[in-house]
Amino acid sequence: MNKRLLLVILGILALTGFVFIDLVGHLGRLSGGMSNLGVFFRESLWPPDWSVLEAQSYPVCEARFEFTCSVAWLGMVETIKIAFVATVFGFLVALPLSVMAASNLSPIEIAIPARIVLAGMRSLPSIIWAVLFMIIFDMGTLAGICAMSFYTVGYLGKLQFESMEGIKNAPLEAAKAMGMSRTETAWLVAIPESANQLLSHLLFMFEYNVRHGTVIGLVGAGGIGLYLNTYLKLAQYDKVVALLVVVFLVVVVIDFVSMVLRSAVTEEGDVERPSWSSLFLPGAISSALHPTPMNKSKPSDESE
Amino acid sequence: MIVLEEVLVHLHDVAIGYDVPLIEDINIEVFAGDVIAVLGPSGIGKTTLLRTIAGLVRPLEGDVELAVPSRGGLGYIPQRLGLVGNLTVRNNVEMGLRVGLSKWYPPFFPVPAKQHHYAERAMEDLGILHLADQPVRILSGGQQRRVATAKTVVQRPKLVLADEFLGELDDDNVEVVMRTVRSAIEAQNSAMIMVEHHEELARQVANRVWRIADGQLIEEVVR
Repeated sequence: MNKRLLLVILGILALTGFVFIDLVGHLGRLSGGMSNLGVFFRESLWPPDWSVLEAQSYPVCEARFEFTCSVAWLGMVETIKIAFVATVFGFLVALPLSVMAASNLSPIEIAIPARIVLAGMRSLPSIIWAVLFMIIFDMGTLAGICAMSFYTVGYLGKLQFESMEGIKNAPLEAAKAMGMSRTETAWLVAIPESANQLLSHLLFMFEYNVRHGTVIGLVGAGGIGLYLNTYLKLAQYDKVVALLVVVFLVVVVIDFVSMVLRSAVTEEGDVERPSWSSLFLPGAISSALHPTPMNKSKPSDESE
Repeated sequence: MIVLEEVLVHLHDVAIGYDVPLIEDINIEVFAGDVIAVLGPSGIGKTTLLRTIAGLVRPLEGDVELAVPSRGGLGYIPQRLGLVGNLTVRNNVEMGLRVGLSKWYPPFFPVPAKQHHYAERAMEDLGILHLADQPVRILSGGQQRRVATAKTVVQRPKLVLADEFLGELDDDNVEVVMRTVRSAIEAQNSAMIMVEHHEELARQVANRVWRIADGQLIEEVVR
């Protein structure tokens, strides 16, 4: 290795160590940390308090299944509802913005401002959007929906315009030569041509928003995060763990459903229908455990 | 009586290429009714010539004049066909009808029902009507070529530019496709410029041949 490069690397490592010590103070503060965690785990976290799955004492539960009056159910359903509405709202705004931002569909004088708008919406994390909307609408689900929608527009818009820029050139050129307008080209060529990816991104965004619902709930924007926040403030960590287990299970189910839907919209034979193991195991191991009919061979002469 | 031939394309002192000229000093005219085959080895600039005429590439020098309507006047079948794989055969073919409508006709509205028979007729002529509701991506190469042809035929353009669109077709289908295209060209009094690798086939279907060699376009009279 070049001597100068070695010196630079050593210099960077030394600087990193120096800045780290400067930030955390003396390392003695770290001693006993693991045993503290063990005590915290035994005394406060474990076992989880599953009373979060029981009906709340007030208001009186009149539902057929008492479980549906529990904190876990109410919080999770509200989180899923917020995520669903925010994902759809975000998608409706992101789609035209992503068409404007795609350099193969729009002139540069439209694409650059559209990209700046998307970057601006993406640069603030949804928790900051939630705080801003709580100032406007007060605490609650409306602030949560608006925050999530704004973030969704920025994030989904970027994924979508990149998908659109990745489509094959021939259909776009044929459309241009025929004299199709930009709107026609976007609606009739670019969107259908990238539809599989757009739908895949949309489902991913829904998953992401469900997971993220716990975070924006922490600042009072509704959903299961609101309950998590309450239990954290009351130091009822065993209930927090129980709710986190519920969130984990719901996310796993949504992840699986999303994978099934995505495989259904992808070109025939391109994606194997997923199995439960594919959620946790690398593809090769999962395929070995659950062999499925292999990909049909694609026509050797596709449209492109 | 003097009959003036309708000039659809006029290339005047044109040089084409990307940065470096591939073909220079092109001075040609295309008349209504012409079927022109462009011949030459790979990489010589045949596709670039078509793309330049289609307005997709700027000429390095000279002027390209097209006397065809900017909307729907030019039908272009690129080498890779330019079909939308996720849409059905019918949707792809109806795209050709759409450019016959106003530019302001909303793209999310279907093509008016009274025009559907044009698409049905073209698909029937080309033997793909039974595939109308299949997505294009699952079709074979030969079937996709017939879809691209049907899309261009229903468009009723004044000028058709086709890049090796007869490849992968068997003899019977070449005949069907060319018969359909020829009758569309005659009905519209339009013209066609086709890039073709098979010289024998090109000479059978074309009335003019342009050969590209050594950076020059040379016209050969066929019949």
